[in-house]
Amino acid sequence: MKRRTFLQLSSAAMLGLGNRNVEPSYRIVSPYKPSPHPGMPGPFRGQVVSVRSAKCIDDVKDEVNAAVVREMMDRGMRQLTGETTIQGAWRRFISPTDIVGIKVNCVGRPKVVSSPEVVAEIVRNLTELGVKPNQIYIYDRFAERLEEMNYDLHLPKGVQIHGAEASRGSIRHYDPATYVEVDFFGEDDTRSEMIAMISKFTKIINVPNMKDHGAAGVTGCLKNIAYGSFSNMDRSHRDRQTHTYSFVGRLAAVEPVRSRTVLQIMDGLRGVWHGGPFAVIPRFIFFPKQMMFGTDPVAIDRLMLDVIEAKRKAEGVVSLWDRTVPEGKDRNNPNVSAYIREPGHIDFASTLGLGVADLAKIRVKEIEA
Amino acid sequence: MMIALLLAALPLLFWDQGPETAVALKQNGIEQVLVPAERLPAWKATGLAVRGITAAEWGALEEASAPGIDRQVQVASATRSPYLIANGWRFIRNRSAKYRYSLTAGKAALAAAESCAYGADAALQVETADLESVGKMLAFLRGIPAADLPGLADIAVVDDQHALVGEVMNLLARRNLLFRAVSASDPRYPINIRIGSKEYSEEEASDPNAFALKIRRQLTDERRSVRVYGSETVLCRLTGDDTRIRLHLLNYRGGKVDGLRIRLRGAFRKGQARGDQMGEIPLENFAVSNGATEFSISAMNLYAVVDLQREK
Repeated sequence: MKRRTFLQLSSAAMLGLGNRNVEPSYRIVSPYKPSPHPGMPGPFRGQVVSVRSAKCIDDVKDEVNAAVVREMMDRGMRQLTGETTIQGAWRRFISPTDIVGIKVNCVGRPKVVSSPEVVAEIVRNLTELGVKPNQIYIYDRFAERLEEMNYDLHLPKGVQIHGAEASRGSIRHYDPATYVEVDFFGEDDTRSEMIAMISKFTKIINVPNMKDHGAAGVTGCLKNIAYGSFSNMDRSHRDRQTHTYSFVGRLAAVEPVRSRTVLQIMDGLRGVWHGGPFAVIPRFIFFPKQMMFGTDPVAIDRLMLDVIEAKRKAEGVVSLWDRTVPEGKDRNNPNVSAYIREPGHIDFASTLGLGVADLAKIRVKEIEA
Repeated sequence: MMIALLLAALPLLFWDQGPETAVALKQNGIEQVLVPAERLPAWKATGLAVRGITAAEWGALEEASAPGIDRQVQVASATRSPYLIANGWRFIRNRSAKYRYSLTAGKAALAAAESCAYGADAALQVETADLESVGKMLAFLRGIPAADLPGLADIAVVDDQHALVGEVMNLLARRNLLFRAVSASDPRYPINIRIGSKEYSEEEASDPNAFALKIRRQLTDERRSVRVYGSETVLCRLTGDDTRIRLHLLNYRGGKVDGLRIRLRGAFRKGQARGDQMGEIPLENFAVSNGATEFSISAMNLYAVVDLQREK
């Protein structure tokens, strides 16, 4: 990076501006109208239920305890909705006629992913409500990653598994009428199209993980639903700069994604405190043993950001907010970074009405299961 | 020179093997070839349409590069865009030249398509391993209805034959920025590039990638005649007149392209598309709005041709 560029970026950091002063020009094209009550931030704006259990995962064997996960989800969903029964809680979001997309995250495979046990429990609750298995879709962008996860082994027959890109970069299964057009760095292809299948879903449940992200700072609800639902994403980072600051929120706010994503279930059984979104270096994997429930992706991500930041602090490495972190591509060194991270993307998303980022205004209900 | 008669619409194969290989040529639908002049008498008995070419004549042809991707993994790159090797810019720059390709295995079909798309007078020296693929490509090319349409462009490049101008043309072509080579500024084009002028200095042009981006920004994406979404390895040639256009799509990556979105400036009626090894290709999600026409192609192999009529 040129010295002058570096100084401009670091000055912006000192002022707390992030990348907001260089937001590119976005053109949003969508034929879908917002619903009167969009799923994000949904009925529980600024509210998060956090459920922890020391027994949810054996961190020596790295095995999930499905029974404990069930209890965590049962209590979390009932606490969120105030319903006395688990079916009543799920009924607040889903009806038997819904076509439900479950947005999983498989980037941190093989382990730091939307856990099969969590996904299976969601599906079990849906089917108990009367949603037929063939009305349920597990989806992500890359078919190959989904296949590696073998979700089907944990799910009833009939549940659909949909990876939008059978071959990397293919836009065949994206919707050419629903896209975000933006020119970040002079790339030839300036469109990011929405996964076509999303338009078939009447409801979406978002199941991200708690992870550091080398460009966005962290990746949670917002980034999973945003970057995970559109094509042609990696163009937003180049050299030291990344446009995740604004792109994450802009994508998450595109209809019908915004209106139909009605529930956020943060799978924090495992997490990544550095090297994310991937989880290839074991020493950067940790076990928050926590799940969060809500409809407000911004509020959940704001809390998750502090989980990752606290872990990094405990490990004695640079803050996610440090914009002067030296450039480096050594994946083993948590004190260098390929990009200047943009954790402020969560705050930016709040300005788009996607939720509450102000910690003082987020109401958290903590549960120990 | 004899080859002037032969190198017409379709590229010819230059085949330096003996006449005993004629059967293999015929089996792959190849009915005419150029052969070394000294072997011509022996080849005449094979029943193929053959012409001889001397080594000097072959050497006198302009050399075209083997088309495809140069991954250049050993070179740090200023761009994430794949490094394409394409000859369209040469063919636009010098339309009257006659070209020769000396091709390694796996390149012949794309070279045949590329030269045909630009109407270049070209001969291809191919490997035996490529006979089947190039035979299929030639069969496809023969089946495309003739359309003698001039090339369309958004930009004029004043060509003083300097090497730097060639590299600028190369990068413009690789970014699907349609240009025409002119000997003097042409007011029909909104942008006229003369390298060495105040506006387009040699220093700027010495970074052709950045220079192409500058031209793109000046033109604006909105005013580009054609844009491709979903691939950085598909390059276009656009030809047309007042009533119709023909869009040539060339895939330099090899293998199948799985999904493309095309945007053409102007309003067109839904027409026909065909691709090698694909036959007819449906134009999906066809839409005309805001002075542009868009459609999707679910898949193409190396070469596809799209014919559209202009809306009145």
